[in-house]
Amino acid sequence: MANILIVDDSSTMRKIISRSLRQAGLPVDEVFEAGDGIEGLNVLASGKTVHLILSDINMPNMDGLEFVKTVRGNGNTVPIVMITTEGGEEIIKEALGNGASDSIKKPFTPDQLQEKLGGLL
Amino acid sequence: MSLNSEIAASKIFTEEQLAKYIIDATQEVFSTMIMMDASGDYPLREPVNRFKCSITGMVGFAGTYSGVISIHCPVSLALKITSSMLGMECDEVSEDLNDAIGEIANMLGGGVKQVLSKGGLDVKLSIPTVISGEDYTVNSLSDIDCVVIPFKIDDDKFLVGLTLKKED
Repeated sequence: MANILIVDDSSTMRKIISRSLRQAGLPVDEVFEAGDGIEGLNVLASGKTVHLILSDINMPNMDGLEFVKTVRGNGNTVPIVMITTEGGEEIIKEALGNGASDSIKKPFTPDQLQEKLGGLL
Repeated sequence: MSLNSEIAASKIFTEEQLAKYIIDATQEVFSTMIMMDASGDYPLREPVNRFKCSITGMVGFAGTYSGVISIHCPVSLALKITSSMLGMECDEVSEDLNDAIGEIANMLGGGVKQVLSKGGLDVKLSIPTVISGEDYTVNSLSDIDCVVIPFKIDDDKFLVGLTLKKED
């Protein structure tokens, strides 16, 4: 079973992602939530065990691109998948260049989560 | 960075093109994230700018194209939408309601952005803005292309509007 960190400024979206992970039949144990990149870094710094990070890109305070870069800069190799409305190939390329593992475009279905995340958990 | 070739070639959109982008993006969001079927109709002849007992979610975009995409929804329908999105009963105006409508606007903005820009860096989306009230008006102060599509979910109606301008 895996612990997941969801980083998204929308509490609605965090709840939908959390519910969809379970609907997709993924082996989820604990779900931690963060409202932006800074809160995400705080969760990681707290020492909680996180097996997968799902992060939005367009967020206030610290966006997803900066968050990924900082996580990797700290030497953390946990898989990070961007879940975002920002489906443009240049932005996704930048996220992957910063160290993201993959991306999923909103809106998504539980089946798409299963397809993208099944191999990472 | 590359523009969608069809879009790059035409500086002025037809009403049919804009209507199709709005209907496609809205139906995708509602069918996948809200589990509701929203049927789109022909564009309104005149934009609606006064709303009663409603909630409006808006996302602006700027860059090669600028404009705003907005969803205007009676509070009674917004509560049903939020309940369906969250999988829990939502029966009053709350932070959950504002957040849900804002996130719908955000996903609609993402859908339209994908049409306008294939690369994604030449058009930037804003953070969503949500307003609600018993009686309010929303006005665009610029004379730019504007299309408003009425949607129906069972007997409930809501509007999705798009204003769009290609920057020189």
